[in-house]
Amino acid sequence: MTFPIHHRALLAAGILLTLAVDATAQGRGRRGQRGERPPAPPAEAKPEDSKPAKPKVYVAITGGDVHLGTGQRLTGATVLLADDKIEAVGHNLTVPEGATVIDAKGKVVSPGFVCVLGNGMGAGRSAPYADAVNPYDPEIKQGLAAGITAFLAGSVGSSAQLTGSNAVIKLAWGDAKGMVLKEDAVVGLAAELSLGDRDKLTEAVQKAREYLQALEQFPKQKAADPNAKEPTAPPGSEKLLAVLRGDAMLWINPAGGGGGFAMFGGGGRRGAPRADDIDAIRQALATAKLFGRGVVLQKPTSGWVIPDEIAATGSMVFLSPRDRRPADPANPDRTGSNLAQAAILAQAGVPVAVTCPVGMFGGAGVGIGGILGQDLNTPQVDAAYAVRGGLDGRKALRTLTLDAARLLGVDRRIGSLEAGKDADVLILDGDPLHYATFVTMALVNGKVVYERAKEPLYSHIPR
Amino acid sequence: MPPLRSPLFALVLAAAAAAQEPAEPPRFEVWHPRRPATEAEHQVAKWGPRGLPSPGYVFRAARVLPITAPPIDDGVVVTRNGVIEAIGRAADVAVPAGYEQVDCGAAILMPGLVELHCHIASETFDLNDTVHPTNPEFRTLDLIGMEHDQIRTARAGGITTALYIPGSGSNMGGFGTLTKTWGKSPEEALVRFPGSLKIAQAGNPEREAGDLGTDMMGMSEGIRMTLLDGKRYWERHEAWQAGRGEKPEPDPTLELLRGLFRHEYPVSVHTQIYQVVLQTLQQLRQELGLWTVVVHGTFDGYRLSEDLLRAGVPVAGGPRQYHFDRATGRFEGLLGNWSRGGQHGWRAPVLGLGSDGVGVNTDSPVVPQEQLPLQAAMAVRLGWQHEWALRGLTINAARFVGIDQRVGSLEVGKDADLVLWSGDPIDPRSYVHVTVVNGTICYRRNPNRPEF
Repeated sequence: MTFPIHHRALLAAGILLTLAVDATAQGRGRRGQRGERPPAPPAEAKPEDSKPAKPKVYVAITGGDVHLGTGQRLTGATVLLADDKIEAVGHNLTVPEGATVIDAKGKVVSPGFVCVLGNGMGAGRSAPYADAVNPYDPEIKQGLAAGITAFLAGSVGSSAQLTGSNAVIKLAWGDAKGMVLKEDAVVGLAAELSLGDRDKLTEAVQKAREYLQALEQFPKQKAADPNAKEPTAPPGSEKLLAVLRGDAMLWINPAGGGGGFAMFGGGGRRGAPRADDIDAIRQALATAKLFGRGVVLQKPTSGWVIPDEIAATGSMVFLSPRDRRPADPANPDRTGSNLAQAAILAQAGVPVAVTCPVGMFGGAGVGIGGILGQDLNTPQVDAAYAVRGGLDGRKALRTLTLDAARLLGVDRRIGSLEAGKDADVLILDGDPLHYATFVTMALVNGKVVYERAKEPLYSHIPR
Repeated sequence: MPPLRSPLFALVLAAAAAAQEPAEPPRFEVWHPRRPATEAEHQVAKWGPRGLPSPGYVFRAARVLPITAPPIDDGVVVTRNGVIEAIGRAADVAVPAGYEQVDCGAAILMPGLVELHCHIASETFDLNDTVHPTNPEFRTLDLIGMEHDQIRTARAGGITTALYIPGSGSNMGGFGTLTKTWGKSPEEALVRFPGSLKIAQAGNPEREAGDLGTDMMGMSEGIRMTLLDGKRYWERHEAWQAGRGEKPEPDPTLELLRGLFRHEYPVSVHTQIYQVVLQTLQQLRQELGLWTVVVHGTFDGYRLSEDLLRAGVPVAGGPRQYHFDRATGRFEGLLGNWSRGGQHGWRAPVLGLGSDGVGVNTDSPVVPQEQLPLQAAMAVRLGWQHEWALRGLTINAARFVGIDQRVGSLEVGKDADLVLWSGDPIDPRSYVHVTVVNGTICYRRNPNRPEF
């Protein structure tokens, strides 16, 4: 891509500024944090520490109809938060003295929604996201009003090379440090590789494995021979190693690059993809086997035709339930896609996350374009359509919570209301998947960041 | 305001306030005073057939929503030869011999949905032919195919009647067609041609209608000139029919414009934004006296709800369902605001169009045709009354374009267009079990391969 001169100058200035800020404020190079593990949660204060631990700030959300995000539901339970984590969830919990109590009686409590695709909402446009977030972006409030507390920002590649530059962003209004959950969470790859590219990938995986094995044995070697040389990573293997180590999720796009002009939610000749992508999915599953771990299939057309093959590799899927492709009338049982795809895949044990349709309007952001029901302003609509297609209504919330977090590789941190996880909680005025349900209150990292009654966005709308 | 000087002055003020507050807001009625009383009296419009052969059915559901009458628990609707023969509680309606029972258990049975603004007559998006700045010589009638993907899927979404209109690439895209979404042929499916004349007041045609200027004054002039041609032709025709003057030389384009001035069908106007809706009201309804229907009435046009109420101009809204008001930071729900009126930001409180003056549309394929009920759901989310939304999807839409004698509610003698839903029809989790058009079951859900 070429930029006009003034754009280039601006870009250069921006990079310099980023470098300067980064270097002075954080004392490390621009790339210092990229590709590394996310910082571990702060260790528990040890008893022998002389400094007394800072007393925990407790918040108790009591009496609500609690949807855990796992598919389970506890009526009239308490969700106890301590600082930025969930301390406990259950009935008859003892609420610590001094805790802030939020009465959720008659309301529904749920984990914050996790969107596998997104943009805006305070995320910057390029890595490192830690330096680019805007914790006061008004879109954050809009996202919170929609129930979103985390999403994947940035790009996921879809070529023969492992590429992508992205981060899982949390909607921690006013708290820049709390916004980046994980940089480079996802690495992308095309499904269909030429024989040459597949050979190259196979060889690269082999070399990376050898490196990891050598690295593992190095301490022992070093003990035996103090002069032993530390193994070095094969050049350009950063992303490959991240996937092999489980530090990044591998997303594979069966549609290949582009995906065509998709103004039409379905139908229409222009840009219509082929009636099936079984071959591409099978190539993606071969890649999963090569890496020895499940991959994420991005909006496959034919996943529902071979759900057991997908499940057998531990792979996962995200899709927009409303995307439909007309079947080839001569082969209706193996072509096209329909509203039942999420249900069929979930039934086979494949974790499924949902996202909104991508068209000329709407798309994976909140925005103010006004075409409601087609974008991230109402994530529950996509889960609702999966239910229309047969997905068990009790488990459908997982498509926006725990299973979405799994697809992003951050399910140890977010996606369900379980002790030890991040305190990202919604209080809703009704069934989480009902079209008219509003978020009454949202908490991210244990802090109240949105209250419907206090924000102009939707507070005037009668209920 | 001057300080109150005397009790008498206060009394006068109170009386004036009382006089300004009507006891009950006027009920919305569509303005089309010249509309022929019966289908037979239409001279220009062509109506589709009725009473086509269809089997005898008794559709039974846990709840029947006739829309124009209170809901019926455990109700039945009896249909044959294209029309509704009986409706009532299952216990009260005798099942005629030889009629097949269709019982979907805990289902909701309601009339088929009516879409007022869509562009999916043909498989490709080719409804924006723009030969002139105004194109009254164009029509969608010849484009309709019953097996187009989006029409098939519309049936799975419960839509049984649709107004297929040209796009808004020019100020006057041509004449639209009211058609059922199923029929053995397009002729059988026809409800009425023309369904309406499509006018795009502004907010799209600027792209291509450059020869008259690209702004609102120039575009207005183009619309006016074309319509005045039609008006003169209509007037000559009326004079000839009254025994004055010669019969005008037949002109197929002007002939269709004549029907417009006879109020045989409305103009459906792509208009949005306060100023543009005002222009529609003043130019088309007040100056030219046309039966005017606002379609995809979005952005802040709702600020004119009382003006449209008084002028008898109905509104169908979508695909946009909210307007983000930068002055207040609020998401204004459009259909709720059109219906309720109220304090619209910078104007004094105004009356709304109420339960009868507002409908909903998709502008498909912008929003896929089958997602019409979702449009209503999103409007309800933002404050439209649920009951009004069901009316907006059915009887209101039918009344706006003058086909309510045939469709839009479950009444004896009306077309047998029915949809059996698994639950709340506008909840995206609910699905359609069965769709019936003209008494024929044209969609049955296959749970393994649901079309929608």
